[in-house]
Amino acid sequence: MKSIKRCQGLMSLVLILFIIGMVALVVKIYRESSFYMMNSDDLSLGKVYDRNGDVLFDGSGKTEFEDNYLIDVGNLIGDDNGQMTNTLVSRNIKRLNNYSFNSGLVSSGGKASIHTTLDHEANRKVYDAFYGQDGCAVAYNYKTGEILICTSLPSIDVTKGYENIEELRSGTLMSKNMYRTVPGSTQKVSTVIAALEIMGADTLFSKSFSCSGTYENKGGNNIDCHNIYGHGEQNIQQAVENSCNPFFAQLVEDEDFPLKKIKSIYKEMGYTINDDNCGYFDIDGIKCDKASTTLNDPYEFKTQWGCIGQGDTLVSPIQLMMWQSAIANETGKMTMPYLISYTTDVNGKENYSVETEFSDRIFSSNTASTTKQILLTNGENNYSSLISGYTIGVKSGTAQVNEGRNENSLLVGFVEDKDFPIAFCILLEDKNNTSVKTESIAKVMLDSLSETYS
Amino acid sequence: MNTLNLVLCAVAAASLDICALVLILTAYQERNTGKKRWNRMTSFMELADYSVSYPLDCDEILIGRHASADIRLPDLSVSRYHAIMTVSNGVWTITDIGSKSGIFVNGNLIKTIQLRENDVIKLGNRRLVFRRKGVN
Amino acid sequence: MSNKMTYVFSALFVLIAHIGMLLNIFFNGNYSGVGSVIILSAAVIFLDVVYFMAMLFFKQNTYAIDFLLILLLNMSVIFQSCFGGVRLSVKHYITCIVALASCRVGYILCRNHKWLQQQKKYFYIGIGILMIVILTLTGSRSMWISLGPITIQPSEFMKPLFVLACATSIAEQQNKHKILKFHVVYENFALFGLMAMIFLLQWWCRDLGSLPTFVAIYACGFLLRICYPKAKFSKNKLIAAGAVLLVVAIIGIKFAPSYVQDRLHVDIWSDQSGGGYQQSQALIGIANGGWFGKGPGHGYLHNIFAHDNDIVFATISEEWGLLYALMMVFVILIIVMIPLINPPRSYFHATMATGICASFAVQMALNIFGSCNMIPFTGVTIPFISSGGSSLMVSGLMAGMLIACQSPVFVQTKKPKKKKSVQPVNYPQQQYIPRRESY
Repeated sequence: MKSIKRCQGLMSLVLILFIIGMVALVVKIYRESSFYMMNSDDLSLGKVYDRNGDVLFDGSGKTEFEDNYLIDVGNLIGDDNGQMTNTLVSRNIKRLNNYSFNSGLVSSGGKASIHTTLDHEANRKVYDAFYGQDGCAVAYNYKTGEILICTSLPSIDVTKGYENIEELRSGTLMSKNMYRTVPGSTQKVSTVIAALEIMGADTLFSKSFSCSGTYENKGGNNIDCHNIYGHGEQNIQQAVENSCNPFFAQLVEDEDFPLKKIKSIYKEMGYTINDDNCGYFDIDGIKCDKASTTLNDPYEFKTQWGCIGQGDTLVSPIQLMMWQSAIANETGKMTMPYLISYTTDVNGKENYSVETEFSDRIFSSNTASTTKQILLTNGENNYSSLISGYTIGVKSGTAQVNEGRNENSLLVGFVEDKDFPIAFCILLEDKNNTSVKTESIAKVMLDSLSETYS
Repeated sequence: MNTLNLVLCAVAAASLDICALVLILTAYQERNTGKKRWNRMTSFMELADYSVSYPLDCDEILIGRHASADIRLPDLSVSRYHAIMTVSNGVWTITDIGSKSGIFVNGNLIKTIQLRENDVIKLGNRRLVFRRKGVN
Repeated sequence: MSNKMTYVFSALFVLIAHIGMLLNIFFNGNYSGVGSVIILSAAVIFLDVVYFMAMLFFKQNTYAIDFLLILLLNMSVIFQSCFGGVRLSVKHYITCIVALASCRVGYILCRNHKWLQQQKKYFYIGIGILMIVILTLTGSRSMWISLGPITIQPSEFMKPLFVLACATSIAEQQNKHKILKFHVVYENFALFGLMAMIFLLQWWCRDLGSLPTFVAIYACGFLLRICYPKAKFSKNKLIAAGAVLLVVAIIGIKFAPSYVQDRLHVDIWSDQSGGGYQQSQALIGIANGGWFGKGPGHGYLHNIFAHDNDIVFATISEEWGLLYALMMVFVILIIVMIPLINPPRSYFHATMATGICASFAVQMALNIFGSCNMIPFTGVTIPFISSGGSSLMVSGLMAGMLIACQSPVFVQTKKPKKKKSVQPVNYPQQQYIPRRESY
């Protein structure tokens, strides 16, 4: 009988292996069935809401939208027809699927939805504040990570559909907040952070360099200041407020500020250094460019220019904003932004909700406090009248693009208020061609947010 | 999905479930009658040692010292694979499969022989009695 | 017979299971006239009853597999008749009857294992002939022979023969010959050679789909042979064999022909209209069906090529629900599980049952997992369920072999007699007399 038992053992083994396979198959089908349905021809999509319940996208196509209803965040929300791939809807279309293996496909009345953190009304006001000038603005709660404002111009109302993609202006079908741009002097915040990390606050504040309008660096190139008469002898606080290029060029050449260490701190902060392929981080599936810069030699023009925020340095507005959160929180940890606050499945049951996440420590909390103080002082001294009513820390920037032919204006900052913790970044393109100022957009943004959000 | 569909599917699946269950039970029932039939076919025989009785459950019974033998006799005088017992027409036959010490049935050294009830089989130093079941 | 009542109940419940399905079709199915449902019902119930009647003429030890077989075959008739609208699939109905007949043939041929063992050389010859047929008659490296409206797949018929060739008895394994220092069984070498031949043939024919089935049958036969002279399943040997298999598999995959490589690396979702069409549609179909299906005849998958054999699991899932499809698989599993419940009484039959079990399990695994994109997609059929004459016939034959394992005859082949006519030898009731030797 032993011999026959052996046969039975082998048969059991074969059958058990098969049954394990079947169980794995059922689990796989159960978990991935929603994805399979996404590839089906008949599928029914749910809705996307803003934080106040405004419909931003309706997969069933039944909602009637007013004209230009979604022009403010249309290029962030996107749609499901496959043209706008890096958008909320197309990256999270699975969550809108009115299907579950248990209840099957619900063609009408399915409750699958995405509830975003966006404030549609405030976005609209910010959008209007650009007066049609190209640019973008992003703002979020630096304590929780909710993205409240994320608008970008030029834009179109995607609810009305779009044809003739070739005729659209470039940048229409994407949210510029997610893509790299020249940061201008807002880059100096990163340089200050690096300097504080390497030297410590005392050494940095003891340094002073003079500016005579232009500075011939040790490599023999001229670093010009926007003030052709120069700023004279300055310390770091004054240099930040004046946004003085020669000061920062001399700082980079300083012996106490070795380039090797700058590189490592930049890397910590998320820069890709000396590599064209910048990589991505993602926010609810939406790919955002990582910052990148070129640093070779402390005496080289390109490297110094990089630390000042021109030339090869490229940062996305959303990343500039995230660094502000690490400063404003005084922790050195970025608050990770998110767009989706919760989603519901086809039966209306909440199946995903977000929890605030923080990055690893990218610089010390001492550095964060000192930088915060520098920015707050700058805000108090130079912006208290322009953006009145808020205690803000800011840094402006002017970025030369198109080989110096155009200048973009940037403004990054945060509100120092524990009940209104907003960090923001505003980019205004071709600033010399308009009367709109980044400060006025910031004022509109903060006003509209404080109305609806507290 | 309408309710009717669901109910009917459930009914169909349930009837199939019950059917499968009944058939498994049938198989178990047959296992019992199968045992009886096997005993009848093999004339209710078994091999017995002093204290242990070895059932003859399949048509080729290997006797030897080795762990894989159907009837294992852990005794050095028994070869690893000593003898094989086969059944045919209800008659059991024992055959030597190259043992060192040979098989003695009722004292006679044999190569192969049809066994009769109460034959004494000697393998090495071990003696086994070929007997009817239930006789002690 | 003592089990009479059990069998009456079994028959009743088989009928109930079929009637349950037919009711589902009647209330829920996609049909234009009620006539088609009635024809289908009549056909199914007629076949049930006729088979139950026929079973009365076969004196078997067990009937469980018969009941399972008729349950399954009529289920498959119902499934196949519902794809894309209810109408009796006459072709499938006839092949099912042929399968039932071949089941009888398998039963009658395989009952006497001693006689079978003596015919072993004919199995080799049979496989050899089939291989030659494949080489000569099938055109352009395929496994199909077209005979007018019927296409035959000779490689299917190799399976039961190969199972029989792999089966062995203990006596056979004791028949050793000494070569140099090793005691070997010639037959094991012959089997290895056969396996190698089949491997080469399948490779040449590019029918790598049915190769795993043969390999699995061989692996079972091999394991039950090598483990024999040594104790039980020697762990080291098993591990070594597993490692060798793994290495062979890896090398095989690495050097596999490009058309195999393509299948191994296909991402079905990025190639939905091309190579991944069938699988992606199958998965969408399963997802569409959910647990309880869309109702018989309401599916979409019947528009897909090979909906009734290669991706039949998905087609059934879509129309009847995943739950029902799993039940169907379970019923097939029960058929091969019967030898576990009711063990065969000879090693030959046990190894045969193991080979059949391996063959069924591997075929189902290849079909179901392949169509669901867990493993490369191959055109293997699910036994009993997929349409296809050769496959159904062979499956029926193998089921018959399983029935034979349950109802063996143990008679000398020199003077063949029916088991029933054999009178148990009544050993004379002699007294136990201690003889010359003393204990």
